[in-house]
Amino acid sequence: MPLLASVTPQLTPVPVSTGVATALVGLLMLTHIQFAAWQQGGYIILAVSDFVGWKRKSERYDRFSKGLVTALGATFAVGGSLAIFAIMILFLGLWSHFYVDLQRVMFWPFVAEAVAFVGEIICLYPLYARWDRLGKVRGLRIGLEILLFINAELQMLLINIVASYMLTPRPANDLPAILMNPTEIPLEIHRFVGNIAWAGAIIALTAGIRLLLKSGRRPDVRPYLDWMGHYGLIWAIGFTIAQPLVGWEYAKEIQLHAYASWYDMMLGGLSVAFLIQVFLLGTIFTVGIFYLWRRVRASGFRSPALAVCTVLSFGAWMLISTPSSLAWSYEDVFRANANVPIWQGGLLIPWGAMIPWKLTALVAFTGVTIVALTIYLKYVSRGKLRWGDAGRGQAVSLITVGVAISLIMALMGFIRENSRGPFLITNHMLINQQQNFSPPSSSGPALQGPASNIGFSVILPVEPHP
Amino acid sequence: MAQELERSALARKLTKPFSGLMATTYRWVDERLGVTDLVHQLLYEAVPRRGAWAYSLGSATLIIIVLQIVSGMFLLWTYVPSTTEAWESLNFIEHHDEFAAIVRGMHLWGAYVLFVVIGMHMLRTFVSGSYKKPRELNWITGVVLFLLVLGLGITGSMLPWDQAAYWTATVVTHIVSYFPLFGTQIEEILRGGPQMGPDTLTRFFAIHIWLLPALLVPMIGLHLILLRRHGEHGSWVNYEGVEEETEAERSRRMAEAEAPYPAIPSDPGYAVPVDLDEFFPSQVFKDALVSFALVLLIFVMAVVVGAPLERAANPAALNYVPTPEWFFLPLDQLLVQFPQAWMIPVGVFVVPGIGTTLLMMVPFLDRTPGREPWRRPEVMVPGLFAVLFLLFEAMLAVGRLFNL
Repeated sequence: MPLLASVTPQLTPVPVSTGVATALVGLLMLTHIQFAAWQQGGYIILAVSDFVGWKRKSERYDRFSKGLVTALGATFAVGGSLAIFAIMILFLGLWSHFYVDLQRVMFWPFVAEAVAFVGEIICLYPLYARWDRLGKVRGLRIGLEILLFINAELQMLLINIVASYMLTPRPANDLPAILMNPTEIPLEIHRFVGNIAWAGAIIALTAGIRLLLKSGRRPDVRPYLDWMGHYGLIWAIGFTIAQPLVGWEYAKEIQLHAYASWYDMMLGGLSVAFLIQVFLLGTIFTVGIFYLWRRVRASGFRSPALAVCTVLSFGAWMLISTPSSLAWSYEDVFRANANVPIWQGGLLIPWGAMIPWKLTALVAFTGVTIVALTIYLKYVSRGKLRWGDAGRGQAVSLITVGVAISLIMALMGFIRENSRGPFLITNHMLINQQQNFSPPSSSGPALQGPASNIGFSVILPVEPHP
Repeated sequence: MAQELERSALARKLTKPFSGLMATTYRWVDERLGVTDLVHQLLYEAVPRRGAWAYSLGSATLIIIVLQIVSGMFLLWTYVPSTTEAWESLNFIEHHDEFAAIVRGMHLWGAYVLFVVIGMHMLRTFVSGSYKKPRELNWITGVVLFLLVLGLGITGSMLPWDQAAYWTATVVTHIVSYFPLFGTQIEEILRGGPQMGPDTLTRFFAIHIWLLPALLVPMIGLHLILLRRHGEHGSWVNYEGVEEETEAERSRRMAEAEAPYPAIPSDPGYAVPVDLDEFFPSQVFKDALVSFALVLLIFVMAVVVGAPLERAANPAALNYVPTPEWFFLPLDQLLVQFPQAWMIPVGVFVVPGIGTTLLMMVPFLDRTPGREPWRRPEVMVPGLFAVLFLLFEAMLAVGRLFNL
């Protein structure tokens, strides 16, 4: 740290425009998040699948676990390199001011993050390289998988602290307050369930694509791919079920603690992006339930209940995708009565001041999907589905859900990062301070390392949003 | 005949440590009270061999409840249930009576551990499908016991009459006032008047040490009688393979079973576990080990962390923000999610009421054929989401309360 402190004043940003720097950082980070989320969600699916394969002596689960660990090992190499590249080149080169200050405030979380990263390598490498040999000591292998998951979970927790802090910062010398800042826990739950859903969606997407390929029609491969698609989709929509509630809580905390960002997302310039976001959420639920219905049908069973669930979900999809008004300014909102409670003739209802039909749609998604999933799993658990019966429609449904979850993750990242705009750290640090920042002439007490915890000594006080 | 021989062997075993007058005295008592018979009945019973560690949680629950009763009795030696002396008496315990401070710590941590153990016990019962016919009433009495323990938890947290206790009592009694039609009356009954006062503490004290234990103890008895009558179901692994076994194999298993098996043979495959063991000493050893570990944990927490005592209750400190006990965090978060006054009854009574009713009705709602969790998605999927919902609510409440 003293070394870092000594070099900090000499750091000069790479001379590019703010727009180019922001686009580069955004592109790299969004790509990195997709990899990191897949790893984190994939590890828990790996541990569960390997355990079930062991206990139920299922060749299908064993085959799946082996394939999954190979994929996770390969993607970890790419995702890890992206993360290091992001830190070394883009942050230090383009946003060095931000990165060094964040390093001071978040020194210990970053240290723990690095330790967990090493722990991940230590657990993943033997699994990747010696999978079959470790299979002779199955308990140990599953133990390693659980450790792997804990390491990844720890990394996510620590990076969530950083991300949530940027949205709802707390005093730089109050570490407990930083760790437990208002949006930390909602973001933690939001990402935990989201990452598992995302990993499930990738599995479903892979199976869907392979089902459409010529090689996927071979009778020795098709039943496995069919099962793999179903398995991935169960994880994907099973965990997305929690998102309406968790996302709503997250938005509520943002409303309470970073109102300007909330306003931008819900009623301001980002509201259109948010509308696309909920449209994608509806796509995941509706196409997912449609898959469940048609997959049961493909094995020769008519399920009117699943058909009804699909129709209900479609209705909720239409409801949630309907804009209340294209509110570009507060005046537009005011004209649409979107800021007036329903009992006074407006649109707001007490639950987080939401528009009634959107809330109805969110509740419907959760309820209908739980029912649909239960009905579908009933068919599976009674052994009524024949693996290999899935048709082209089911394969396309799997691909659609996978693509929708990928898009929703990228869009969510875009919305969250832009909702803070023009700040990098709400009310503390501006994005355009990164490229025109002049470092102080001497290091001074603020640059003496984490113990000082002063932070933001070089940050200009900025007026919050109007 | 075999049972008579077993009984005689037990009688010899029980009298072995005694000699002379002691042995004579034991025989005298045994002839009149039937001690040997009682011990025989209590200890000698067949239990499922597999999954034994999982159902040691039931015994651990019982042991911790006994610990709560004993530690509560010790606390009564010093505690004075009056608004002027309750806090003083506990302050005396905390600062001048080290033994009583540990006992108080054990009472608090015992309650915390009890909630965790009951939760795990219920989860195990749910996942293994142990509530199925003929054990429906075991499940229902278990749910009632859980509710009674919740009641003991909330009433107990009000007794120290410090700031936390006073304001928690204020909030809880006020929440009750939102109950439709009779809310205000119930609030006044609990408070002993329209305002918080000396009667409030007296009433919660009476509920905590008399009313709820008077319901709890017979309910535990009923739960145990039902358990003995229908036998332990334990884990679904006790029945692995019953679906594939032939009629002859099944008949042999049924014929070789010891009491209390077969349980009501309404479901022949599941009337007798595939592998049995003796309750004593095998299961008793496991139960004792788990219970001992938990009591040790409670003791360590009582010594190291202890039980908090805030400043004495101050009704004028209107800026004090009470935080609920951790086991009420999901309910607290639910309350926040129904912010308007007219919606509070939904969050406080309707949603938890529906949840509790569904929980109690689980044995009747679950019409699935088997016991294995993956063959019962109709209950496992909603059950899993309910548990996740409670966990998420608790986590969100922690974040919210920290940032107040």
